[in-house]
Amino acid sequence: MEVPANLPTVQPIKPAKPKLSKMQRSRIRSDWAFIAPQFIIFVVLTIVPLFVAIPILFTDKAQFNDPQVNPVGWKNFTAVFTERSVQDDYLPALQKTVIFVLLNYTTIYIFGLSLALLMYEVGFKGGFFTIVYMPLMLSGLATGYAAVMLFAQETGTGNLLLMKAGIIKEQINIYSATGTAFILPLMVGWRYAGYNMAIFLSGLLSIPTETIEASVVDGASYWQRLFRIYFPQMLPSFILATTMCLIGSFSVFDELVALGATYVNPEAKLLSIIFFTYGFQIDRLAMGMTLALETFVPLMLLGILLQRLQRRLQY
Amino acid sequence: MSTQFLSPEKIKDTKPPVIGLKGRRIGLRIFATVIMIVYSVVTLFPFYALFIRSFVPTKESSELHLWLPEVQEVSVNQEIGNLAVFYNLDMKAFKIAMGIPETAYIPSRDKLVDVAEKYNLNIADIQQYFEGFYLYNGWNTLFRTSMNSQTFWRALTRTFIVTFFSLLLSIILSIMTGYGLAGLKRKDQMTVYNIYLLQMVIPIMLIILPQYQLFQWIYNLFPQYNVQGSAFRYSAQLIALILINIKGTALSTMIFTSAISGIPKDLEDSAMIDGASRIQYLRQILFPLLKVPIVSLVVIQLPAFYNQFLEPYVYLDPPNSTLLPFIQSAVGQFSTNFQVIYAGVFASVVPLVILYLVFRSYFVEGVMAGAIKG
Repeated sequence: MEVPANLPTVQPIKPAKPKLSKMQRSRIRSDWAFIAPQFIIFVVLTIVPLFVAIPILFTDKAQFNDPQVNPVGWKNFTAVFTERSVQDDYLPALQKTVIFVLLNYTTIYIFGLSLALLMYEVGFKGGFFTIVYMPLMLSGLATGYAAVMLFAQETGTGNLLLMKAGIIKEQINIYSATGTAFILPLMVGWRYAGYNMAIFLSGLLSIPTETIEASVVDGASYWQRLFRIYFPQMLPSFILATTMCLIGSFSVFDELVALGATYVNPEAKLLSIIFFTYGFQIDRLAMGMTLALETFVPLMLLGILLQRLQRRLQY
Repeated sequence: MSTQFLSPEKIKDTKPPVIGLKGRRIGLRIFATVIMIVYSVVTLFPFYALFIRSFVPTKESSELHLWLPEVQEVSVNQEIGNLAVFYNLDMKAFKIAMGIPETAYIPSRDKLVDVAEKYNLNIADIQQYFEGFYLYNGWNTLFRTSMNSQTFWRALTRTFIVTFFSLLLSIILSIMTGYGLAGLKRKDQMTVYNIYLLQMVIPIMLIILPQYQLFQWIYNLFPQYNVQGSAFRYSAQLIALILINIKGTALSTMIFTSAISGIPKDLEDSAMIDGASRIQYLRQILFPLLKVPIVSLVVIQLPAFYNQFLEPYVYLDPPNSTLLPFIQSAVGQFSTNFQVIYAGVFASVVPLVILYLVFRSYFVEGVMAGAIKG
């Protein structure tokens, strides 16, 4: 493939460059015409609010249309360390939320991962997938009410059934602290089982079969295969599921409303309910915004980090 | 050296496990089938229980019902006040049906027999009126309820309208975004793509307050908005909701950017040579090729839009609400009548579940395709 030396060398045509860039420029312009409509809506409704909030954080703005707003400096930011009324709301909610997130995170593996592994081993079953995915058609609100229906004391269908079968001795009370803490993640895990299963299953399906076959031929046991072959190659799926769970369960809201968190049930008052009531019900808008920011910005940074990691592993 | 290679005896040794593997495979299949059946039953049980409970009167709810309950008919000795308080008996409808003047006052301690006597009614007529009263109380009350001139059907219609337009516009805009970003070759495209990816890590609770504030500022520019109950106010609220739904997500951008990037560039070039504009190319060539990603986006966004609660709860006035906020406020009103609550919750679930079961193969396909992108 030697290039003959006597071939006339063609000089690159000079005027071609500006012409190309003109075409490119028009391409960029028309690309932006396609991008702009949705991008403007996205930026205005997702990114701009983050900045709109900033000046409000330093005031005592109580309502959305508050006529009188006074600057208060950094008071809203330090309130969580100094102000008693805020601490009484925020700290128990934070504790409950963290417990909820941790338990919810384990349900991803209890439901999603084990179902995905099962499907992977016996082959994809469309009918079973249909059933596992069905709870995702339920709204968060309906999930919360289903929890009440199943595990309300005295009247819960699940309670009555489990009592009759002799599995539990005492009725579970969904409105109690432990009841809410354990049943709610279970219900949410049940609802998202199909979604998490799809994430893990797609991770499993992307593993090159050669590596699995090789491990089988080499006589690796199932557990060895799981921990040495499957999991390392499914890492992007794990990270994706972690990100989704972290961001999603910190702002769980609908299920809590169904449990009566916005009025009667203090056990279901997680952080999202605190932010919501501060903003919409008890006239502490600026405080609510500040608390939300203080809670979620570290989380967002963690999320971005995880996202970066996932993409690096994937490509 | 010799240990590195399997001796003939050792090869023999490895044979039995191969046969054992077959047995294990059968064992695994049985084990898996059992687990699948158990999990399916557990998963479907809440749906079923919800349905059954919508027929179980609150009075009988402390007993286990796994089938439609055999409920007694209303006794003629039942006090009318009890029926009104615990079973939300519509007094007005009752009076009209029985031919009692609407202005007549019926003391709440009066039994049905007393009422029959007082107004000279036939006991059989009353019994007929109350036939199935306990059993269907939840459904009857739900469909009859009108809160803030809002009924179940109106709320459902509004949900369908919002969901339909959200899906339609979301698909169109997301395809346009994907087409504009396709290839991700330039820096500006990459920046836009990364900004969309941020959506995945921004929790809704972080932006809901400032976002609502933003909308309030925009609304305040229009004096018509502050007229309670005006068509302008209601449509502005619904538009806000649709805008929030169509703003594009990390997923929609990823799905369409990668799908359109995967389509050979030659196709576009040849269309351009034939004189097609980019919009024509998008509509007539690209669009039919994007069936899989479109299905994928629809099956992921449809439940999200239909089941949306927080945003409609916050943005919409009660007389203008979609299904879930309506159910929530109706439920608040009937906090002692569990039958109505479960009927309402079940009714809110049914339309989507039916859609899901009819189009289940699309759901399975679309979700798996979407999950791979995610």
